[in-house]
Amino acid sequence: MEFFSRREFVCRGAGAALLLPFIVGGCEKRMTPAEAAKGDVPLRTLTISEEAALRLLGDLLVPGSSEAGLVHYIDHQLSVPAGENMLMIRYLGVPPPFVDFYRSGLKALNAAARQRHGTDFGVLTEEQSKALVADFAASKIADWQGPPLPLFYFVVRSDAIDVTYGTAHGFASLGVPYMPHIVPPSNWGA
Amino acid sequence: MPAGHVDALIVGSGATGSLIAARLAEKGKTVAILEAGPERTAGDLVSSTLWARRLKWSGARVIETGSRPVGHGFNAGFGTGGSATHHYAVWPRLHPDDFRMHSRFGRGLDWPISYDELRPYYDKVQLEAGISGDAKQESWRPPGAPYPMGPVPVFGQGKVIARGFEKLGKKTAPLPLAVTSAPYNGRAACIWDGWCDAGCPIGALANPLTIHLPKATAAGATIHHATRVTRILTSEDGARIIGVEYVQGPKDTRGGLEADLVILAAFAVENPRLLLASANAKHPHGLGNANDVLGRYIMSHSAGLVYGFFEERTEPYMGAFGGQLVNQDSYPKETHAKRGAFGSYQWMIAQAVKPNDLLGISTTRPDLYGDAVAPFMKRAVQHFAGMTAVCEDLPVADNRVTLASERDAQGEPIASVAHDAAPESTSLWEASLAEGKEVFAAAGAQEIWSGSRGAMHIMGGTIMGRDPGTSVADSYGRVHGVRNLYVAGPGLFPTSGGVNPTFTALALAQRAAEKM
Repeated sequence: MEFFSRREFVCRGAGAALLLPFIVGGCEKRMTPAEAAKGDVPLRTLTISEEAALRLLGDLLVPGSSEAGLVHYIDHQLSVPAGENMLMIRYLGVPPPFVDFYRSGLKALNAAARQRHGTDFGVLTEEQSKALVADFAASKIADWQGPPLPLFYFVVRSDAIDVTYGTAHGFASLGVPYMPHIVPPSNWGA
Repeated sequence: MPAGHVDALIVGSGATGSLIAARLAEKGKTVAILEAGPERTAGDLVSSTLWARRLKWSGARVIETGSRPVGHGFNAGFGTGGSATHHYAVWPRLHPDDFRMHSRFGRGLDWPISYDELRPYYDKVQLEAGISGDAKQESWRPPGAPYPMGPVPVFGQGKVIARGFEKLGKKTAPLPLAVTSAPYNGRAACIWDGWCDAGCPIGALANPLTIHLPKATAAGATIHHATRVTRILTSEDGARIIGVEYVQGPKDTRGGLEADLVILAAFAVENPRLLLASANAKHPHGLGNANDVLGRYIMSHSAGLVYGFFEERTEPYMGAFGGQLVNQDSYPKETHAKRGAFGSYQWMIAQAVKPNDLLGISTTRPDLYGDAVAPFMKRAVQHFAGMTAVCEDLPVADNRVTLASERDAQGEPIASVAHDAAPESTSLWEASLAEGKEVFAAAGAQEIWSGSRGAMHIMGGTIMGRDPGTSVADSYGRVHGVRNLYVAGPGLFPTSGGVNPTFTALALAQRAAEKM
């Protein structure tokens, strides 16, 4: 077995660091999820309504997660084989494909928003969305039709934490030294 | 794949499979390891909590039922080195009473061997793999050779927690870790950057990629990835194994391999699943299951998680993932009997933590969201401390692995694992939280909180015993009723003890390999 030296900062494919492939205009382009979010890169899996709901939910659970690329991170991970998946959900006893879990959860969130305010979650006012998320976090949404509410909250919150604080950039934002042996070739897989 | 026949075929490349492969190959046997997961090298062990998730289980679905799921998705590995590739290398020994629990206390089960019989094998594995520690300071430690390396360093987090134990008149000692505190047998010393869970690419942590797989392959053993054994085949009279069937590669190519000896080292759930799925006319309920014991007594330690904020800077990101210090004052089985508890636990003190992930800082307060998150995180990365009690799980017959009616993509029956905790085990976990909070209060913590009841390690399911009527295998792991079939790993444990299982599993494997 060939080992790496004690502090040999290996960056495989240095030019591709922090990048993953997105399809833009029919061509593959490598960029960070944050760049993909900023550039409005088309999603692979999630619908427009799901994207809007997830973006708002993420930012209300962990501010900054939307800018960090939460939607593109989850969307990308839902399209890769289960063995390459990096989502927290793979630890939690939910069988793949995980898209069903997210889709049914976001559908239930939109349904709860429509029941209360007659519109999807992603277009609620700030006051309305904050009140709904408070009940969401406390598992107090009546007639919830999605996956177990505490689990869905935990999963989406964990994803939002991952993109905001779980990368080298996130560590730096907290003043935590990253100290890698092997630098991730991208934030979350490629 | 070797053509047709090998002396020994090992299912799984984890800790025990790799050790046995090395020992048998060194004896001159032809050895093939069949690993269901992908190949992983040191270069694949990326320093990231996100990338680390790729090391965990991603084989066929495992259904979990009961009130205390065993956490198979987190605790099991997949690929070269199995779960040991991402294990934290906390290597304490079981205590003598763990081996005779039923005889001494009328609870649980007895092992077919004593601590004294296993002791020399602990010592051998310890010398080969290297453990850092201080045996004299570990006043609870059973007799054994001193550690070959000095103790791991203590950072701020460890110092503040140790202060609490000391104020209560309790002890701490360096945590015995199979991590290099100094250069050892050509391996570099650890630099305490807390990436153990992502796999250690520098060879400081004693995982299979570092210790036993190189020895096995150097001695001629071969390892075959993406090769999943689907059935163990017996002779017509059912008395011996003749080989296995497997599926291999992305196209699920089916094949077979004959072997004089078959060792199942595919962890505590897959081993019994495979034995059950290999039922035939001579073994209608599965191999080694003449008495309906196969799959039973699945155990998982409960994690007693206690956290706090301290005024001092604690550097919680420094150190090893397993911790810095240990306390085993609560190891005697009846320590917390007044609370209705029975069993042992130890504290793993001051584990290195990252901001995110299942064991990360953010997950200690999953209730926080919105504007509360950032202030908590910024404070925590400077002032957080935590420790984990490894709480014994009493063996319960109804906690078991069975075959589900559902089939996987290859048409094989998947495993279902049912697990609930005995009331005494739940009381033990509650006692650990009470003690932990008391320690943190004595240490001067500004805030104290506890975590939910996590599941650590998976044991049992193919328990060893003297009586074939009440066990699956003998003390060497040889399956009752089939003379050339062995099981290795923590699935053999009749009791879980209150310590991490890898070291004991390796000691048992060393003992078995010398016998084979």
